[in-house]
Amino acid sequence: MTPGIPIFSPMMPYGTGLTPQPIQNTNSLSILEEQQRQQQQQQQQQQQQQQQQQQQQQQQAVAAAAVQQSTSQQATSQQATQGTSGQAPQLFHSQTLTTAPLPGTTPLYPSPMTPMTPITPATPASESSGIVPQLQNIVSTVNLGCKLDLKTIALRARNAEYNPKRFAAVIMRIREPRTTALIFSSGKMVCTGAKSEEQSRLAARKYARVVQKLGFPAKFLDFKIQNMVGSCDVKFPIRLEGLVLTHQQFSSYEPELFPGLIYRMIKPRIVLLIFVSGKVVLTGAKVRAEIYEAFENIYPILKGFRKTT
Amino acid sequence: LRRVRDLCRVLQLPPTFEDTAVAYYQQAYRHAGIRAARLQKKEVLVGCCVLITCRQHNWPLTMGAICTLLYVDLDVFSSTYMQIVKLLGLDVPSLCLAELVKTYCNSFKLFEASPSVPAKYVEDKEKMLSRTLQLVELASETWLVTGRHPLPVITAATFLAWQSLQPAYRLSCSLARFCKLANVDLPYPASSRLQELLAVLLRMAEHLAWLRVLRLDKRSVVKHIGDLLQHRHSLVRSAFRDGTGEVETLEKEPLGQGQGQGEGEVGNNSLGLLQGKRPASPALLLPPCMLKPPKRTCPTPPVSTVTGEEDISDSEIEQYLRTPQEVRDFQRAQAAKQAAPSVANPP
Repeated sequence: MTPGIPIFSPMMPYGTGLTPQPIQNTNSLSILEEQQRQQQQQQQQQQQQQQQQQQQQQQQAVAAAAVQQSTSQQATSQQATQGTSGQAPQLFHSQTLTTAPLPGTTPLYPSPMTPMTPITPATPASESSGIVPQLQNIVSTVNLGCKLDLKTIALRARNAEYNPKRFAAVIMRIREPRTTALIFSSGKMVCTGAKSEEQSRLAARKYARVVQKLGFPAKFLDFKIQNMVGSCDVKFPIRLEGLVLTHQQFSSYEPELFPGLIYRMIKPRIVLLIFVSGKVVLTGAKVRAEIYEAFENIYPILKGFRKTT
Repeated sequence: LRRVRDLCRVLQLPPTFEDTAVAYYQQAYRHAGIRAARLQKKEVLVGCCVLITCRQHNWPLTMGAICTLLYVDLDVFSSTYMQIVKLLGLDVPSLCLAELVKTYCNSFKLFEASPSVPAKYVEDKEKMLSRTLQLVELASETWLVTGRHPLPVITAATFLAWQSLQPAYRLSCSLARFCKLANVDLPYPASSRLQELLAVLLRMAEHLAWLRVLRLDKRSVVKHIGDLLQHRHSLVRSAFRDGTGEVETLEKEPLGQGQGQGEGEVGNNSLGLLQGKRPASPALLLPPCMLKPPKRTCPTPPVSTVTGEEDISDSEIEQYLRTPQEVRDFQRAQAAKQAAPSVANPP
């Protein structure tokens, strides 16, 4: 007896080994760009469809009038009708589909209006989850461009701790944005704890300013986001034993070691921690869009394990 | 490599396992990172290769058992194990729960009378195994196994199976005493798993006509585990409703959280008065972690308007800088601290 097999839904098909199925991911575009592109296409095609509907009505009238003529003309008009309906992009559904958009769906990715912010994607399609992962932690690095005397920094800064026997860096904290920085004698700095890219940048600048005020010629070179962590809740329990069976090549589930399933997505290169409660942690992203894309990739797979009876 | 073979022999594994485990070790040893690793890691690697081999043959060997034999911490074992699985690109099957139940049950010293085991505590191995398997299957179906260490669930199931086979003599025996008599370690979470399993059985009992009237509790329900297991499939369907689609609905209603359970409990209380003529409404079938109320509510974080390029005022930065007086005080304190160890402690 194995606990999972009688309970689980039919085996999900394996993917190509890069992107988990079933996702209609196209080419190498990120899901945000893809949705924008398709929204523009949809608008164009809606206009085209309206024009074509008028043309079809005229054609049908002609076809009806010419019903006694050769069948090839009818076939042509039918093919034209079918070809028209098949041009609709798959992610955007017509009103005739039975699946309805999730209630209360708002634009998926609220973002602050800043130059660094990724473009807000379009209204989500029916397959979209309607759930937005929240960013929990951003890790960034910056080069202050000068050697630093850590003892002096620890002596003259209120918010610093330095224990060279334990760790070879000053640990500094500021209240707003609530973050922590590791400042090394080489002048390199790591900033952690921010909830957005902009907050991370602002915090790093404040740390650099503190170091400047302490008398060092600190600059602000090569600021880079190294890692982003997000989390969300799909609000239904997940049979982790089933998921590891069907996605063995991506998953690691060892309940003796850790209660969650570790899912290593290839595209985008994100690691997801999936828990039985439906909570998901996503990490390893360099940009916000990767977190969102990874979640949109995993959501249909998780939904596949939603019904247990 | 000899250690690999030695470990396989200690565990009494089939000879073919030895060759596979040795092959894995040799494969791992080809990587520079492993060759340069510390001796402790190499010793742990022995255990990892044996464990992977056992998993691939559905041989129920737990990580805890390997760690005990190798005298290593689970943390150390865990990091080496994850590393080697990734390095060799292996697909390691999950631990086979059914085989683990059989092996674990076999280790209980309750199947023969002995000076430490009273005659009334001795049980038939096959009966106990069969009932334990059914209880573990029930636990798995009702979300008590997913995400949890498997062994405590099996311990709790074995205990309940043993108790239920002769409840008259065994209800007075606690889980801790049972494990001591059986010469088996009691895993810490087993008590909690036991309570969860009993709660599931109680819910099921409410939907069995001849048990409904008895108003069972966690102690008396043990006597009826046989009946409950016999009808477990239909009882689970009637006693629990699928909670997977309902969590969102419940959370949206401000007073609705726990409503399903509340209804069930209220139903129990009032229906108990009516001699339990109607069963309680089905409880939500969800993992225990989803049934408990959240420890703290997580407010939605406000949308940040930070651009990252704001001006930083001097006053804000200066709050993080010590005044000259503070610097002097700090230096004095540091000097005093460094001087302090040289003073002998008074007796």
